[in-house]
Amino acid sequence: MSNQEIVGKRPLQVLEKIRENLERLNEKIEVMIELQKHGRKDLQPPLSDAPLDVMTLLSLPDHLRKTAMTLCRMGRATANEISEQTKRARAVESAYLNQLVIMGYLKKERNGRKAYFFVDRESQG
Amino acid sequence: MMIMGKIVAVHSYKGGTGKTLLSINLAVALAEHGKKVCLFDLDFRAPSLATLFKIEKSECWLNDYLNGTCEIDKALLDLSDKVHNSGKLFVGLANPATEAIRDMSAKDRKWEMRALGRLLALRTSLLNDKGFDYLLMDTSPGLQYSSINAIVSADLVLVATTFDRSDVDGTRRMLRELYDLFEKKTEVVLNKVLDASSKAGKEEITSKVNDVYQVPLLGIVPCFCDILKAKGGIIFAQEKPDHPFTRILEEMAAKIDKMA
Repeated sequence: MSNQEIVGKRPLQVLEKIRENLERLNEKIEVMIELQKHGRKDLQPPLSDAPLDVMTLLSLPDHLRKTAMTLCRMGRATANEISEQTKRARAVESAYLNQLVIMGYLKKERNGRKAYFFVDRESQG
Repeated sequence: MMIMGKIVAVHSYKGGTGKTLLSINLAVALAEHGKKVCLFDLDFRAPSLATLFKIEKSECWLNDYLNGTCEIDKALLDLSDKVHNSGKLFVGLANPATEAIRDMSAKDRKWEMRALGRLLALRTSLLNDKGFDYLLMDTSPGLQYSSINAIVSADLVLVATTFDRSDVDGTRRMLRELYDLFEKKTEVVLNKVLDASSKAGKEEITSKVNDVYQVPLLGIVPCFCDILKAKGGIIFAQEKPDHPFTRILEEMAAKIDKMA
């Protein structure tokens, strides 16, 4: 690898890192916007491990139920994959998914740049 | 494009509206049309398919599958010898033992959430991998956990109802406050109808149903004394191919098969 290539790669990595951080920041802002929009009443005190059973699904506000139902069917998905099913914007789904994570109904896992959401059905307790 | 099978849940607000009669005969009618059909008894509070198919023992029950203690293969019984042509019919049964009923009614939310996961997984294991065309689920009446799990898992929900007042009221409420929330494709089957013989009578009933429930009407089943006389001992779609009840069920099966 020539010197020039190494020098050329550095800024790319830095940019990549900045982009990653910006995306995370974005997600957090999206959640905050959603919380503002729907008021804090949607949000129960954060639960670490709340079961997403059908009665819970029924009690969710409509906008969150649609997202939660779609994820239930798909098992594990990114905000992008959910938005393809629900025909809503990716940013909107991302906000709803993160909100469901805060409520304790979903789990989130990062794999490289992608964030996967899933229902943790097999955990004990 | 891959053609995928369909999951159909049969539900009602009240008991005794004909869910089980409808489920069995639709399953048999679809199998008689050459389809590969699986019929589930998800009425864990009052299991009935074991009796109706005269089966006393099963290696595994659906209770065990939902408990995560057996694979779905072991809970399926092959009844294809009851079908007259190349169609296939399998059943999964609810354990009718009193102890099992008690056990199922004492499950917590976490268990019900896992059970929903296992029902949702059937789309892959039964429809995709085993090539079933239909999975029909007979359920408990009303807002039971097991029934709502079945509704959430299904592509189509058939609601059996009668002209009984409390049933009409409850069904209407249930459609709005339960089904609408899940955005489920729903059709109504009107059972035990007294004046369904004339064309005008049928039209009147159809528009009345559309008015009251605002969902499509899949079929009208008249009140047949023959069904009462059979005391649940005859599967009409299998043993009485020329009976008007069988004809009506076949029409409904054909309609379901044509749906996208």
